[in-house]
Amino acid sequence: MADDEDNGSSVLDADTFVETEAPAVIIARIEGKSRQVERLLRIPQYTEALETALMDAPTQTRDEQCKAANWILVHRVLMATKDVDGLLLGLNPELHDVLMKYLYRGLATGDRITCDLCLRLHEKLFDMAGIGCIMRAISDTQNLV
Amino acid sequence: MCLQNFPCQEVERHNKPEVEFKTSKELLLNPILICRNEAEKCLIESSINSLRISIKVKQADELENILAKKFLRFLSMRAESFQVLRRKPVQGYDISFLITNFHCEEMFKHKLIDFVVAFMEDIDKEISELKLSVNTRGRLVATEFLRQFT
Repeated sequence: MADDEDNGSSVLDADTFVETEAPAVIIARIEGKSRQVERLLRIPQYTEALETALMDAPTQTRDEQCKAANWILVHRVLMATKDVDGLLLGLNPELHDVLMKYLYRGLATGDRITCDLCLRLHEKLFDMAGIGCIMRAISDTQNLV
Repeated sequence: MCLQNFPCQEVERHNKPEVEFKTSKELLLNPILICRNEAEKCLIESSINSLRISIKVKQADELENILAKKFLRFLSMRAESFQVLRRKPVQGYDISFLITNFHCEEMFKHKLIDFVVAFMEDIDKEISELKLSVNTRGRLVATEFLRQFT
């Protein structure tokens, strides 16, 4: 039958995904954010720097360069932070999910120092945000960070 | 771990673990890779009716490499009696578990999780013990053999 032939394409096809912004625009915005983050790290205001890095994360795009650029920025902030507890206490709760996704990305890198830091942060973020945060990070296949 | 029964969408009357075949994207969750360091990592892939956990154990030198390979191959060959073990590990890993909704129906979920965690904790200890016994035996044999030349 004619309507049975459409069962090949699922709702998650890349073609049906609408990109709201061009990659160049996103990269430019990330560069602007990185200047702001560097300034905040020099003060130093780690929580604000992390919030800036996590805000407007390029989840609505499929371009790997944008995602890599934002990950480098978040990584920079996490490595520069001295006080891990204080960092998470002041963080805006809406950014918990995005941070959890970045932590899993960090755990996948395999670099010992990054993994140690991500594991410590994961434990603290789990205590604060609960198991729902982890579930959203795993099950969200649309907004990949 | 929330697994439910899900008959195959493509083929009638079939019930396959979706994580193995990966035919429909909407049935899969994001795979999670957790690396403790460069040598050890754990990959967790999940779908609506099945969960696959693959572990790469630490292998510091050649001897540990061989021991780990033989020991884990020994376990994988007897996967039938473990039920949740996979006969062949996923490419790039040393051992894999495949847990389906049927396992969750027959066994307690928290016990399944405890089993996997206990396995991960004990495997390093087992391989160290094996290495120690191989070295001890080697030393004893060499001492005895070379004694006849002194």
